[in-house]
Amino acid sequence: MSEQFTRREFLQSACITMGALAVSTTGADKAFAATSTSTPNTSGMPSCDVLIIGSGAAGLRAAVAARKKNPNLSVVVVSKVMPTRSATTMAEGGINGVIDFSEGDSFELHAKDTVKGGDFLVDQDTALKFATYAGAAIHELDYLGMPFSRNAKGEVNKRYAGGASKIRCNFASDKTGHILTHTCLDDALKHGVKFLMDHHMLDLSIENGRCEGVVLRNIRTGDIAPVRAKSVVLATGGYTRVFWNRTSTPFIATGDGAAAVLRAGLVFKDPEMLQFHPTGVCHGGTLITEAARGEGGILLNNQGERFMKRYVPNKMELAPRDIVARSIETEIREGRAFGHDMEAYVLLDVTHLGKEKIMRDLPQIRHIGMLFENMDLVEKPIAIRPTAHYSMGGIHVTSIDTMATPAPGLYAAGEAACVSIHGANRLGGNSLCDATVTGKIAGTNAAEYAAKADFGAGKRLNDLTLKWTSHFKEITGSGKGNVNDMYALREELGAANWYNMGIFRTESKLLELADKHAEFQARYNAIRIPNANPVFNTAYTEYVELGNLLLASRAALMGATARKESRGSHYREDYLKRDDANFLDWKDVVVGQFKIEERKY
Amino acid sequence: MKFIIDRFDGKKNYQQTYTVEKKDIEALTLLGTLLFIKQHQDITLNFTASCRMAICGACGVRVNGHAYLACDTKMTELFEEYKDADTFRISPLSNYTVISDLAVDWEPSIENLRKVKPGLVAKSEFSEKEGCRQNQEEYDRIVGQWDCILCGVCASECNKLSADRSDYMEPFVYTRAWKVANDSRTKDPMIHVKPTVTNGLWNCVHCHECTNRCPKHISAAEDIAGLRAMAMRKGLNSGVGPAHAKSFYTDLVEDSGRLNEIRLALRTEGMSTALRAAANKE
Ligand SMILES: Cc1cc2nc3c(=O)[nH]c(=O)nc-3n(C[C@H](O)[C@H](O)[C@H](O)COP(=O)(O)OP(=O)(O)OC[C@H]3O[C@@H](n4cnc5c(N)ncnc54)[C@H](O)[C@@H]3O)c2cc1C
Ligand code: SF4
Ligand code: SF4
Ligand code: FES
Repeated sequence: MSEQFTRREFLQSACITMGALAVSTTGADKAFAATSTSTPNTSGMPSCDVLIIGSGAAGLRAAVAARKKNPNLSVVVVSKVMPTRSATTMAEGGINGVIDFSEGDSFELHAKDTVKGGDFLVDQDTALKFATYAGAAIHELDYLGMPFSRNAKGEVNKRYAGGASKIRCNFASDKTGHILTHTCLDDALKHGVKFLMDHHMLDLSIENGRCEGVVLRNIRTGDIAPVRAKSVVLATGGYTRVFWNRTSTPFIATGDGAAAVLRAGLVFKDPEMLQFHPTGVCHGGTLITEAARGEGGILLNNQGERFMKRYVPNKMELAPRDIVARSIETEIREGRAFGHDMEAYVLLDVTHLGKEKIMRDLPQIRHIGMLFENMDLVEKPIAIRPTAHYSMGGIHVTSIDTMATPAPGLYAAGEAACVSIHGANRLGGNSLCDATVTGKIAGTNAAEYAAKADFGAGKRLNDLTLKWTSHFKEITGSGKGNVNDMYALREELGAANWYNMGIFRTESKLLELADKHAEFQARYNAIRIPNANPVFNTAYTEYVELGNLLLASRAALMGATARKESRGSHYREDYLKRDDANFLDWKDVVVGQFKIEERKY
Repeated sequence: MKFIIDRFDGKKNYQQTYTVEKKDIEALTLLGTLLFIKQHQDITLNFTASCRMAICGACGVRVNGHAYLACDTKMTELFEEYKDADTFRISPLSNYTVISDLAVDWEPSIENLRKVKPGLVAKSEFSEKEGCRQNQEEYDRIVGQWDCILCGVCASECNKLSADRSDYMEPFVYTRAWKVANDSRTKDPMIHVKPTVTNGLWNCVHCHECTNRCPKHISAAEDIAGLRAMAMRKGLNSGVGPAHAKSFYTDLVEDSGRLNEIRLALRTEGMSTALRAAANKE
C-alpha cells in the first residue's frame, strides 16, 4: 500500500520547492489539492494539510504518523537546515524505554524515576503514559530498522543512565541519536514525506484563536512567503543557545518555535528550566560525555586538588550531574580554577587510565579534546566547565494524549514542547524517547484535525508576511552596520545569561540581568546587517535567531525571578529549599502580555 | 596567511582573498577559521554548520581541491598536509549545485536517497510490537555503513560524478542502499538493490576516491561491489536478469562484484544497458 503510494508521490516530484508551492494553481499545489480530503485552498497562497516545522526525531516521527493516519493528506516537513543536521543527531548515550521486565523493571518505575528526576514538577499521569509509550517506541524503532546494539540473545542492548533505578537506556553504540535520526529519515522517505529544506519559519499566525499557517523564508532565494496549513506541528527543538558559547547543543537550537509562540500570544511553559551538564569543553561547550567520569576520570582545581572530595566524598566525580556542575562552578567562583571570565575552567584528568584504555574506551572524547582544546588527553588533562544541555521548558501543550496547544490546529513535540514530562530536570536518555513518542502523537492528532478542518482566512498571515518582508529590507538594506556587531552582542547575551541566570541564581543577579536584557534588546533593534543579498543570507538568519534567543532569555528570566525556590536545575541561592506549597502547581509565562499565569490542568 | 575562497552570490562566481594572522587560527579547526573570517572580516560569507563535532554532516568543503569535514579538520593538520603553505584555496563541495559560496544544494541527494527506498521492510517473523532479533555478526555487517553522516565528501571526490552526473548518484546513496539490502532483518533486499541498478550501479569506475577521504572510513566503492554481487546473484537465480548477463558473471571475482578490470571498459556499458532494460520491463 504505502509502497505504491510512495512511487506515485515520487513521480509527483517528491521534494517540493518554495517556487513550486508559490505557483498555487499548478505543480505541487495541485498535487496537494488532489490528495486533500477537505475544502481546497482557494486563497492563492501556497498550502498543505499538515505542516511540520523541524526535522529532528520529533518532526520526522510526526510526519510519518500523519501520513499513516491519513495517506491522503499532504505532509511537508520544513527545516532551516538539511533534514539530518539536528540536535537529535548529536545524542550519544541512549534512549530510555522499558522492554525487559525480567529484572523487575516496569513502566511504573520508569515513570517514578522521571518524576523524581524532574523534582516533582512532572505531571505524574503524563509520566506514566510517557513511560508506557516509550517501551513500545523501542520495539517500533527496532522494527523500522534502527540498528540497536545487541545483547547475546540478539535483543536490543541497554546501559545505565543517570537517575534511573534500573538499566533501561537502550543504545546504538555511542551515537544513538545519529542512528535514530537516520532511521527516522529513511522511514519518512519510505512514507512519502516531502521536505522543504533551507526554509526558516519566521512566524506563526494565530487568527481568531486558531492556527492558520506560518511565514517561511526560503533561505536559498530570500523569498518570504505565507504557507497556509490546516494543522501545524512545531518540532523546532530547544533554546539552550541562550547561553551561546556555553552549550553542548547545535548552532540551530535558538528557540524559534517558543519565540514564535510567544509572539502569537500563546504560552511558553517553565522557561526557566534549563539543564546543565557538568563537563563541556572550555572553548565552546561541546559535550564531554559522562563516560569520561564513569571510566574513572577525576576533576582537579588549580591547586591540583581533587575537589569533589569536599562536596560529595562518598561519590566524588560520580555524584549526580547537577551537584558536580555546582561544585565546579563553586571552584571557579572562589578562585580555585584556571583561566578567567567565560574561559574559566577546571581540569578533567584521564591520563592515569593509560593510552590503551583511552584509545579503546574513550576515543570520541579524546577526539573532541583534539578538536576544541588542541590537546591530547592521553598526555594532559582537558579544560572543562559545565555547559547548558537541554531545555525542559517549552511550548505549552495541553495533554500528552494529543500534544495539542490551546490554539486549535497547532501542535508541538519534542524538546520544543513542554508537556511536563521532564519537570525541573530531565533524566539522561529521556529526551530521545520524548521526541520519538510525542512526535508521533502530535503527527497523528494533527492529521486527524487536518482531515476535518478547513483552511483559515489567511489575512493575518498575509500581514505578517508583509511585516517580515519589510523587516528584511530594513535590517539588511541600509548599507550600514559593522561586521562584528551582532556576533559581539550574541556573545555578551550568552555570557550575561550564564553569569546571572546560569547554575547559580539570586534575586540581585536576576534583577541585574533584566536591565541588561533591556539594553541588549535596544542594541539588537538598532543593529543593521551589512549584506543586502537575499540569496542564502546566513547573517540575516542569525539575526532572526538572535532575536528569538533574546525573547527566550527574557521569558526564562521572568520564570527564574518569580520562582522563589530551588528545584531541579533551577538553583536559587537565596531560596535553597524546594517550596511545594507555593510552587508545585505553578506557573507559566505568557510574555505576550508580559505576565506570569497560573498553571491550569 | 591567505585564504582564497570561491564565492557565488547567486548570480556571479568570483574569488575573494582573506588575510588572517596565523596565530589567530592555528589552534582552531577549519570550521573555526571560517567562523573567524565571517565574524571578523566578512559577514556576507556563507557556509553551513550545525553540530561542530563531526556528526551532523553539514560542514563539508574543499581545501585545495580536496573535500574535508571542516569541523573535523584541525588547521595544524592542514599545515602539515600542505607543507606549511601560507595560502589555502577553499571551495564548495564538487559535484553539487552551489547555492551560495560554500553552501550546496542537498535536495537532489535527498531525492536520490528516496529512490533506493532506504526504509527497512522487515521480515514477516518480526513485528512492530516486539521488534526484531539480530545477532552480533549480522549487526557488525551493517554497522559501518550506518556511520554515514551525509556530508557529501565522497560525492565531491567521485570521478564518475565529475565525468557525468546524469546517470549516477552520490556514492553515499549506494552505501545507503547496501546498508539496508545487507541487513539480516530485511525481507527482500531487491527492493533496495533494483533502484540502484536502474540508477547507475554499473557506472562506478572503482577509483576508490570516495573511500580515501570519507571522514567515517566508509567505502562506498566496496558497498557498490556488494550491491553488484547481490544484483548478479539474485538476478541470475530468479531469472530477473537478462540471459546474457551470465557471461559477465564469470568476470566477477568470487562474488565480490568487481569486474575484471581489463574487460571492464568493453563490457560495463553493455551490462548497464541490459540491466537497465530488464529492470524497466518490470
Ligand atoms: C550533545 C548532545 C547529547 C545528547 N545526548 C542525549 C542522549 O544520550 N539521550 C537523550 O535522550 N537525549 C540526548 N540529547 C538530547 C536530544 O538529542 C534532544 O533533546 C532531542 O533530540 C530533541 O529532538 P527534537 O526533534 O525535539 O529537536 P531537534 O533535533 O533539535 O530538531 C529541531 C529541528 O527544528 C528545525 N528548526 C528549528 N527552528 C526552525 C525554524 N525556525 N524554521 C525551520 N526549522 C527549524 C531544525 O532545523 C531541526 O531540524 C543530547 C543532546 C545533545 C546536544
Ligand atoms: S559515505 Fe562518508 S564521505 Fe560519504 S557522505 Fe557518508 S560519511 Fe560522508
Ligand atoms: S569508486 Fe565509484 S563511487 Fe567511489 S569515487 Fe570512484 S567512481 Fe565514485
Ligand atoms: S558542523 Fe556538523 S559535521 Fe561539521
